Amino acid sequence: MPTFTYMTRCDGCGECVDICPSDIMHIDPIHRRSYNIEPNFCWECYACVKACPQHAIDVRGYADFAPLGASVRVLREEAKGTISWKIRYRDGRLKEFTFPIRTTPWGSIKPPSDYAPADANALSSPLLAHEPDALMVAALPMLLAFEPAQG
Amino acid sequence: MFTDNPFIAAAAFLPPRFLQVYVILMVLAVVAGTLFDLYHKRSAQFFTQQRAQSSAAATRRLSGADVASIAARTFAHDVATFGEFCNPSRRLSHVLMFYGFVLYLVTTVVMVFGYPADPHTPAVLPVLWNIGALMVLIGGYWFFFFLRVNVVHDGQPPWRLVRADLFIVALLASVSFALLFEWVAMAGNPMATRVFFGAYLFFTTLLFVSVPWSKFAHMFYKPVVAIQRRVEEADGSSDLPTPTTTGGERCPPSPT
Repeated sequence: MPTFTYMTRCDGCGECVDICPSDIMHIDPIHRRSYNIEPNFCWECYACVKACPQHAIDVRGYADFAPLGASVRVLREEAKGTISWKIRYRDGRLKEFTFPIRTTPWGSIKPPSDYAPADANALSSPLLAHEPDALMVAALPMLLAFEPAQG
Repeated sequence: MFTDNPFIAAAAFLPPRFLQVYVILMVLAVVAGTLFDLYHKRSAQFFTQQRAQSSAAATRRLSGADVASIAARTFAHDVATFGEFCNPSRRLSHVLMFYGFVLYLVTTVVMVFGYPADPHTPAVLPVLWNIGALMVLIGGYWFFFFLRVNVVHDGQPPWRLVRADLFIVALLASVSFALLFEWVAMAGNPMATRVFFGAYLFFTTLLFVSVPWSKFAHMFYKPVVAIQRRVEEADGSSDLPTPTTTGGERCPPSPT
């Protein structure tokens, strides 16, 4: 169910180009508006839909199996810390939901650049970098070392 | 100096009537180009369909006063001050280009029709003409080199021109050659005056004749879209969720 851009609403700000994890939102050379260059590779993450300040990006269902006439629209309000969804079913019913964007204050998560570089000697450890400290647990369960029997 | 009517220099090799006929032809080109654009891209049909769909989905009926109030707010915010843009740099560059172009265009028309080859043109007109041209160039070159989305966000080199650049390139070339023509005329170089005036006419013609293929028409349809969006929010036909922020949060914080 790939994204598409309402060309009249788009103002060509480029937010969707920056945020698309598939790098498939680009700027078209005729109108300088965003467009999805490869709909087959869109995984409907909704990142561009949420980021677009003009609400110019929508997601469409494939006509052969998606409920026609239905829509899922989203409104992200960062200052208020909410994300709202409006679901329109094909029988006309409407449902709206509002959720907090996150449950911790903005800026409270330590970014990866603030961690010390990982120790190369830890490559043989089953733990990932900065575990278990970054998970804020004392220790993670470990499998006992496997020692094959000599035979 | 910059207080003299710049079109007097053209009167040395062209009759004043030439520029008057030229301005009228350019106005007709913009009108014809816009009508062709409406027909060719079926923009009028699209907006009519959109309006019919939102009217059918409306949960509240708006009075004439409501619509007039929305139109006034749209004009004040989205049209006059380019409030649609969340990026302040893009907003400022558009303000400079738009108001500079209006100033430059109006003073051109007044000087061409009101003071053709008249050495006693009020100084305020050439001064405003120069200020308008400089505003277009500051906003325009800023936009062209540093703000174009395909350059800033899509990683394209600034010199790679595409069809979307037709409008900005024609506008910048037209205004740049207008100022060059004025400067070489002031310097008293008749050959360069003719060459730069020819380039000025070429790019000005390109600017106004290319309306159906350039981004010129976005000056007309963007206000229509802005009104439509506000009407949909007011009559309940918007497909977006109800904002949790009073009045809605227009522009989220953005690094760009």
